[in-house]
Amino acid sequence: MNPASLQSYLLISSALFALGIFGLLMRRNLIAMLISLELVLNSASLNFVALNKFCLPDKSLGQVFVIFIVALAAAEVCIALSLILWFYRKQETVNVEDAKELKG
Amino acid sequence: MELNLLWVIQLAPLAAFLLVQFLPKGAKKTAPVFAILLALAAACASIKLFSLHADGSSLPAQYLHPWLSVSDQTLWPFVAIKDYALSVGFLVDRLNLLMITVVTTITFFVQLFSFYYMAEDESRARYFAFLSFFAFSMTGLVLSSNLLQTFLFWELVGLASYMLIGFWYQKPSASTAARKAFVINRLADLGFYLGILLLFILFGSVDYLNLKTEALTAALPQGTLTALGLLVFMGVMGKSAQFPFHVWLPDAMEGPTPVSALIHSATMVAAGVFLLSRAFGLFSASITTLTFILIIGTLTACVGAMLATVQRDIKRILAYSTMSQLGLMVMAIGAGSAVAGMFHLATHAYFKSLLFLTAGAFIHRFHTNDIWEIGTAGGKKERLALAALALGLFSLSGIFPFAGFFSKDMILETLHEHGGLFYYAALFVSFLTAYYSFRLLFIITRSKVSASHHEDTHTHHGSALLDLCRALPLISLAAISVVVGLTGTSVFDFKLLHWLGGEQTHLNLEILTTTTLLILAAGSLAFWKFSDPEAAEKRLRENKSPLHLALERKLFIDDAYDFLVKKVGLGIAALLDRFDRAFINGVLVNGTSYFILNIGRWLSRVQSGLLQDYLAWVMTAGVAVIFWAAHLASKGLS
Repeated sequence: MNPASLQSYLLISSALFALGIFGLLMRRNLIAMLISLELVLNSASLNFVALNKFCLPDKSLGQVFVIFIVALAAAEVCIALSLILWFYRKQETVNVEDAKELKG
Repeated sequence: MELNLLWVIQLAPLAAFLLVQFLPKGAKKTAPVFAILLALAAACASIKLFSLHADGSSLPAQYLHPWLSVSDQTLWPFVAIKDYALSVGFLVDRLNLLMITVVTTITFFVQLFSFYYMAEDESRARYFAFLSFFAFSMTGLVLSSNLLQTFLFWELVGLASYMLIGFWYQKPSASTAARKAFVINRLADLGFYLGILLLFILFGSVDYLNLKTEALTAALPQGTLTALGLLVFMGVMGKSAQFPFHVWLPDAMEGPTPVSALIHSATMVAAGVFLLSRAFGLFSASITTLTFILIIGTLTACVGAMLATVQRDIKRILAYSTMSQLGLMVMAIGAGSAVAGMFHLATHAYFKSLLFLTAGAFIHRFHTNDIWEIGTAGGKKERLALAALALGLFSLSGIFPFAGFFSKDMILETLHEHGGLFYYAALFVSFLTAYYSFRLLFIITRSKVSASHHEDTHTHHGSALLDLCRALPLISLAAISVVVGLTGTSVFDFKLLHWLGGEQTHLNLEILTTTTLLILAAGSLAFWKFSDPEAAEKRLRENKSPLHLALERKLFIDDAYDFLVKKVGLGIAALLDRFDRAFINGVLVNGTSYFILNIGRWLSRVQSGLLQDYLAWVMTAGVAVIFWAAHLASKGLS
C-alpha cells in the first residue's frame, strides 16, 4: 500500500474514530471520555485535510474546516472541563456512573 | 260544517284536558264540570256528524294536509326511486263514523259516572284531566287518515292507559300493573311500528284509502304481504289483549272502575279490532295472515272465557270476558267479515261499559270486588244496578233479543260459513260466556244477605246530583245497548249493517237453536253449581279440581312469562354478564392495559440513567439510519 495514498489516511482516521468511540463508550472516567472525544474530533480533522489534499489540491476548504474544529474543540474542552469540575466538586468523583440524578 | 264538527270532536277533549290542567288550585273542584261538558260537546258533534251521513252519501271524505315529503333518492337502496309524501288529516267513512260515535258517547257517560264514582277522591282533577286526554287520543286514533298518524295516537292512548291504570300510584299493585301494561304494549308496538315503516318504504303509502287488497297484491310479493300483515297484527295483539299478550288486561283492573269501563273494555282495547277492519285490505291481502289472525282470536276467546269462569273478582270476570269477546271479534275479522267484527265491537262496547259501570256501582257501594262478598253484603238490594247488570249479562251471553245476540250470531254465522273447527270453538266460547255470566248473576242474587254487613256499609246518598250521575249513565247505556243491537236487524229504518256494507242479520234457525240450547245448558249448569252460593264457596274451599286450580293459576301463562323473564331472560343476562366480565373486561380492556403496562415496564429498562448507554443507543440508531440510507441509495441507483 502506498503510504501516501488517500486510503491510508482514511484508514488511520477511521482507526482513530473507532478508538475514540470505544473510549467514549467504555471508559467510566469523565476526563478519559473527554479525551476520547478529542480523538473522534481529530479523526474528522484528519479526514478533512486528507480529502482536501487528494480531491481538491488547489483549494484549502478542508484546512479551513480543521481550523474551525480546533477552535471548537478548545471551546468544548473549556465547557466540558468546567462541567466536570463542577460535578467533581459536588460528587467527589468523576465516575460517569454516578451522574444519574436525572433518571426517573 | 263537517270539518268544523270534526275539529270539535277532536279538540274538545284536548281543551278539557288543558283547562283542567291549568285550573288554579282553588278552582280544581270544578274540573269534572269542564270535562263532562266538553265530552258532551264531542258526543253531540259526533252524533250530528253521524246523522249527516246516515244516508251514506259523500263517503268516504278526506281532509288532508301535507306534512312531509321525502324525495331523497338514497332513502332506501334496494327499491326503485320514488317520491314519498305523508299527509295528516281526517278520514271520515262509515267505519270510523260508527267508532267515533261509540267512543264519544261512552266517554261522556263514563265521565258522568266518574263524577259519582270519584266524588270523594282527593285528586279527581288529575283523573278528569287524564280521562279527557284519553278521549282526545282515542278520537285522534279513530279519525286518523293514515297508519302513521294512527300510530302516534295509538301510543298516546297507551300512555293515557298507563297513567290511569296507575292512577292510585300509592298502591304497589296499581303501579306494577300500569308498568306491566305499558311494557307489554310497547313490546307489541315494536312490531306495529316496524310494519308501518316497511309498508311505507316498500309500498310508498300508508294512507288507509290506498291500502286496497288489489293494489297491495299487485305491488308486493305474497311473502312480504304476510310479513307486513303479521307485524301490524302484533300491535293489535298488544292493544286488544290477544293471546299471548293478554296478561296485562286483567291486571289493568287496578285502575278506577270507570276507567276500566271506558279504556279497558269499550274503546282502547277495541282499537286493535278497529285497526284490523280499518286496514283490512292489508290483512286480507294474505290468506296466511288471515288464518293466523283467526287462530290467535280463537285462542284468545277460549282462554279468556275459561279464565273468567273461576274468578272471584267482579272486575276480573269482566276483564277476562272482554278478552274473550275481543277474541271473538278478531275471529270474525280473521274469517273475513270486518262488518261482523265491527258490529260486535259496537254492541260489546255499550253493554260491556254498562257492565263495568254496574260493577263500579257495586264496588263503590260495598267496597269490595269479591262477588261473594257483594252478594252477602246485599248486592241484590241495589235494584237499578242489578237490573243493569242483568241486562248487560243477558246481552253478553247472547240471549234474544239483547244486543249481544245479534252481533254474536252474526260472528257465529260467519265462522260457520268459513268452516273448520273455529265454529265449534266459538260455540264453546258462547257456552262458557253464558256460564260465567249466570254464575256471576246467581252468586249476587242468591246469596243470603247477612245483617251485619248490611249495617256497616256506609251511606252517602248525599245529593240528588250524585244519584243522577250514577243512574243516568246506567239507564242510558242500557237503553243504547238494546237499540244498537236492534239496528242490526230490520226493526228500524236505519240499517246499521247494511250501511256498513254488509247484510242485515237474519234469523238463522240452526244457529239460533244451537245457541239457545247452549245458553240453557250453561244456565242450568251455573244454577246447579251456584244456586246456593254459600255451599258452592264451601265446596270450592274444600276441594278444587286440577282444572280449577290450573284456571286459577291463569293456565300458567303468567308463570310462563315469569319463567321466561326470571329464568331464561336472567339466565341469558347472567351468561352475558360472565362474558362481559371475563372476556370484554378481562381480556380486552384489562388485557390491553396490562399489555401496554408491561411493554412500558420492559422498555423503561432502557432508561438506565447511564450516559454511555444512551450514547450507545444513539450510535446504534445512527448506524441503522446510515445503512437504511445506503440501502435506499443503492435501490435508487439500480
